[in-house]
Amino acid sequence: MPVKITQDAVQGGLFAAIGLAALMMALEFPIGSPSRMGPGFFPVVISTLLTLTGVGILVRARLGSSPAIEVTRWSPAIIVSIAIVVFGFLLDKLGLPLAVLLLCIGAATASVRFELNWKAVVGAVAFSVVCGILFVTLLGLPIPLLGSWLQVFGAP
Amino acid sequence: MDIFSGLLLGLQTASTFSNFTYCFLGVLLGTAVGVLPGLGPIATISMLMPFTFGLPVDTALIMLAGIFYGSQYGGSTTAILMNLPGEAASVVTTLDGHEMAKQGKAGRALAAAAIGSFFAGTMGTLFIVIAAPILAGMALSFGPTEYFSLIVLGLATSMVLTSGSLLSGFGMVLLGMLLGMIGTDVNSGMARYTFGSPNLLDGLNFVVIATGIFGLGDVLANLETESSRAASIAKVSSLFPTRDDWKRMTAPILRGTGIGVLLGVLPGAGLLLSSFSAYALEKKISKHPEEFGKGAIEGVAAPEAANNAAAQTAFIPMLTLGLPGTATMALMIGALIVQGVQPGPNILNEQPALFWGLIVSMWIGNLLLLILNLPLVGVWAKLISVPYRYLFPLICVFTAIGVYSIRNSAFDVYLMALFGVLGYVFRKAGAEPAPLILALILGPMAEEFLRRSLLISHGDATVFFTSPVSMGTLLIAAVLLVSILLPAFRRAREEGLVEAD
Repeated sequence: MPVKITQDAVQGGLFAAIGLAALMMALEFPIGSPSRMGPGFFPVVISTLLTLTGVGILVRARLGSSPAIEVTRWSPAIIVSIAIVVFGFLLDKLGLPLAVLLLCIGAATASVRFELNWKAVVGAVAFSVVCGILFVTLLGLPIPLLGSWLQVFGAP
Repeated sequence: MDIFSGLLLGLQTASTFSNFTYCFLGVLLGTAVGVLPGLGPIATISMLMPFTFGLPVDTALIMLAGIFYGSQYGGSTTAILMNLPGEAASVVTTLDGHEMAKQGKAGRALAAAAIGSFFAGTMGTLFIVIAAPILAGMALSFGPTEYFSLIVLGLATSMVLTSGSLLSGFGMVLLGMLLGMIGTDVNSGMARYTFGSPNLLDGLNFVVIATGIFGLGDVLANLETESSRAASIAKVSSLFPTRDDWKRMTAPILRGTGIGVLLGVLPGAGLLLSSFSAYALEKKISKHPEEFGKGAIEGVAAPEAANNAAAQTAFIPMLTLGLPGTATMALMIGALIVQGVQPGPNILNEQPALFWGLIVSMWIGNLLLLILNLPLVGVWAKLISVPYRYLFPLICVFTAIGVYSIRNSAFDVYLMALFGVLGYVFRKAGAEPAPLILALILGPMAEEFLRRSLLISHGDATVFFTSPVSMGTLLIAAVLLVSILLPAFRRAREEGLVEAD
């Protein structure tokens, strides 16, 4: 069954949790004095304020009626971010065109209207080749066209 | 150096063949990406940034400025034709612009926007020419105390002008400052919040975070509601304003320009404020206010002029103080730092060719926009109609390559993915990310200026109230924050900003 979480609850929870964690870590930095601020001074002030703000928003969440969060489809967020992480990992191992092709198709699966047809695949392949030419050959970004895993097939 | 020899130097810099070509390319690419629905200026600039990396500094900055204007104007085109504002400031344009488009007057609305923007851009550039050297001179006398107070004002303004509650805005500012602390502390050399990762020692790269939150975060949010996106594009017919149109839009363009030029200098969110105020003013003084919201050309021309004038003068605090007024300007500073330029009052003396070249190319950029946009509007309309399911994988690719190429780091790509998800969560939770972005770049400056102020004053915090400039700035910030609690202002803010969402 769907759980109703309000916007304020998420905001307040996030702020309070991050603020508290940051405060804990900040207390280990030398704090110094106002006239000679140490590396811990500003972090302690800011994270304390953040924690208080988070608590304030949590209190407001209990009192007021902030709108509930409705998530209709959460899968795109996961699919697309995983596709990008995989892209970052494989970029220098496969080379730019292949990594782009993977990201293109991987991310595209997140769409509700996704269907694998030959037209889309041809388009993605063409786009990957164009990206290779544009970024590596023309703009000279230091990314290999053929990555380290594929060197065996590469240059003679 | 006086203004005329400065302008001459700028003209020499901007009119070299390569600089002119890159300005043109920047405007063209900026518009082409900016018209794509769901891509605001921030996402556009961060996607196109790698194209500027291999260039010399002045060329890169000129191209970036071209991209910036192009993306602004592209956003207005989408707003008018599709009723999809790319950023909060173009919401106002949708009100009457899209109404005009529905009545078959899309071409005239676009022309009004282009002409208004060009005039306002020219005036804005002139204003920079006159005001920037004066302000840069003043800024040299500013100490850390004044800078700290200016930063506080900027952050306060950004909080007031977000659509969420003041408290969430405050939380986002604090979170942004906290993220800004990640890395090596400049003063003590101590590693803060790096979790032992060597990748974090240099701090979070601003461009990576902005691209994640705005570029990727928007994609994720758009995908969730993908099936309910009803895209209808208005047809573009006659582009030329009628004589009656000219008569109706001349005065609004003049007034809009005035408002934009003045409000754009304000740190915070001058763009948004200026287009809303220009619209409200026109509606108030119009002889036929009932036409507003139903396709009044004044309602397109005035806010577009104001928006563009403000976009222009927003460069003033960035170039003279090194303080960005908006999230977009913060991104421009991030790009400058990648190029090895530290913006601030010294830029005018140390790199006059860069400063004046940028200013002249701003004007050239605006001229190119006018020339490009009217004939190419059919091409832009085609671009808009590309379905989102083909578009978003390409956006993912360009953002990922762009982020990777900043320092050839896969870690930055992971970071972008993480902040994309975070940006999505923030949107869902009703917390607008703009203040966070601004605080991310202003936070480390705020800490440094606070430290220096207190060092000079021996820990006495009253120093912020004894310097007149600092006192005045803080007073404005306080008035802004208090005014939000007044019922009348609060209602206006809610009405204005809720639509912006």
